[in-house]
Amino acid sequence: MDIVLEAERVSKRFRIARNRPSSLKELFIQGLKGRSSKTADELWALREISFTLKKGRSVGIIGHNGAGKSTLLRLICGLGRPTSGRIQYWGKIGSLLELGGGFHFEMTGRENLIMGGILGGLSKRQVEALQKEIIAFAELEKLIDQPVRTYSSGMYLRLAFATAIHFDPDFLIIDELLAVGDSQFQKKCLDRLQSFRIAGKSLLMVSHNLDQIRAYCDEVLVMEEGRILMQGDPESAVRAYYDIMRQRTERRQAKMEVVQPSLPIQQGNRYGTQEVTITAVRFIDGDDRITDHISSGSPLTVELEYFRTNTVSDMACTLGVFNENNTKCFEAHASSIRATSGQLSERASIRCRLPELPLLPGRYYINIGLFPTDWSFVYDHHNGMHFLHVMNENEMPVNVSGVVMVRPHWTVRSQDPS
Amino acid sequence: MAASLKQRHRTEKAMTAKSHQYDLILNLVRRNFILQFKGSLLGLLWALLLPLSQLVIFVFLFRRVVPLKIPDYPVYLFTGLLPWNWFSMSINLASSLFITNRDLVRRPNFEPSILALVHALSNLVTYLISLPIVFILIATSGRRLTWTVLLLPVIMLIQGTLIVGLSLFLATWNVFYRDLQHITGVVLGLMFYVTPVFYSIENVGREYRSLFTLNPMAVLIQAYRAILYDGTVPDVSTLLVATAVSITICGLGYLAYRRDIQGVYDFL
Repeated sequence: MDIVLEAERVSKRFRIARNRPSSLKELFIQGLKGRSSKTADELWALREISFTLKKGRSVGIIGHNGAGKSTLLRLICGLGRPTSGRIQYWGKIGSLLELGGGFHFEMTGRENLIMGGILGGLSKRQVEALQKEIIAFAELEKLIDQPVRTYSSGMYLRLAFATAIHFDPDFLIIDELLAVGDSQFQKKCLDRLQSFRIAGKSLLMVSHNLDQIRAYCDEVLVMEEGRILMQGDPESAVRAYYDIMRQRTERRQAKMEVVQPSLPIQQGNRYGTQEVTITAVRFIDGDDRITDHISSGSPLTVELEYFRTNTVSDMACTLGVFNENNTKCFEAHASSIRATSGQLSERASIRCRLPELPLLPGRYYINIGLFPTDWSFVYDHHNGMHFLHVMNENEMPVNVSGVVMVRPHWTVRSQDPS
Repeated sequence: MAASLKQRHRTEKAMTAKSHQYDLILNLVRRNFILQFKGSLLGLLWALLLPLSQLVIFVFLFRRVVPLKIPDYPVYLFTGLLPWNWFSMSINLASSLFITNRDLVRRPNFEPSILALVHALSNLVTYLISLPIVFILIATSGRRLTWTVLLLPVIMLIQGTLIVGLSLFLATWNVFYRDLQHITGVVLGLMFYVTPVFYSIENVGREYRSLFTLNPMAVLIQAYRAILYDGTVPDVSTLLVATAVSITICGLGYLAYRRDIQGVYDFL
């Protein structure tokens, strides 16, 4: 198989200069004092990274913030040079890094599109030939001649994505941006990526969305502190990723004074550093009553109360519904509580309302977790601790299994000649 | 296999690279130009209003307040003022080129040195737009243009080389030492007075004149004057010195840029 990209023992060191002169005055003063200005701290963002990307394969990179993923992608794109080792590639590189970089707010969508295309390596004529397709893809036919500053952020990203993806690179580098636009547009983007793969091209993607990694990658690199911790199929890589998360949490927990979890554990388990502690979890039904059972298809509000220590200024929250076989029925997350509530109170309750929960009758676990916003470890995660009975008021649908409540209606229509 | 792919890619690249770079530069210049006047009521007129207002002030000062006794002073002033404005506007903003265009610099496959060229060209466009005023002034003053006007592009090329070279230095190093942008402002302000823009080199004592040869902008402005005001061929020997200085600065600027650009990526 052809190799399109090869990284050989790539390392990158950044100097974080403590006393680095940031102006000539300081440089001058340091010169007078006869002190070297090179009292720099070294930070190895990447250490001895080696991997290959083969034609037609797609490789995902997962790892926590600061693991070196973005640095690696930037080096591959030629932004900066490895301190040691080398990166080689064959073919035209396309990148979805810095989406919309080079766009100007005062220029119209069309002007930006053409500029973006030329920056992406096409000639003006080629971009003009493609522009209709790009505008259609971005669904901006009506507004394309308006200045970009009048666009909503979704429209901006749609245009940027459509512009970036319509070139014809041999491999595509993606950094976390499949979360563009509404679900219909996302589907279009994913379809586009899929057809890109079918055409035998390669992908290198960084994502925090493990489901996307599972769906799109043949192979996954797990990075931690600038190293490749493991390389393997998506399932085992995702497991390794969770292991790192658990280890980090435990390390962090060991360093901290232990805050006793104030919620008695009757079943299930919880873990986390308890910098934020979930002090209560309640289920509320459609009639505003606290309950542990609801009827299928009716609304449910999950309320949790937390207490935070002052080290925490923002957090992310997940809420998942799992059945007794631990199959995920549904999971949602809020990536920043602060973004919805403003300043984070010391004690507060968070509510998540699910207007309807069409689950088959049975026993379900509601798993709740609080995380730092970079998802690098766990504050408090309740796994299998809170259960909810889903009942059925009407007749139980017969001969149905799974998790979603549907009411099948069977009919047979004969096609025999009468 | 990989090697042949690479080779194929190289030849393809060489074929399209030239026309692509051309498209890129042209469109960046055009964008700069459009952006300069977008949203303003007078638009393009602003490009003319600045030099015209300078013209009014200087003509008043050096005809009525401190008479310099230079015939057809408006023509004389304008032939020097326009190229000076090109120079000073370019250099003034050159230090912030990489910082303000951070997202362009950080784009894969983008060659940041292009920004210096684009910047010099954008300001050249402003110069070219005001150039007809010079011709109008010449016509109304009764002076005549001669064939030497054909030499104008040569002088512009030398000046462009100088601007690009200085811009590369400033843009690269200002990323590390932001003082540069303040220093250039001060230096430009002073340089305006030691460059014969509003006065004639004849007003300067003989003993200082050779010093002016070292200032490439002084030589270039003298050359513009020879072409447009006197209608003669500019002094070749000083012009050669200025050319050598410009090319050296441009070369050194590019070397400095090459040497430090990786640091710029890390730093930005």
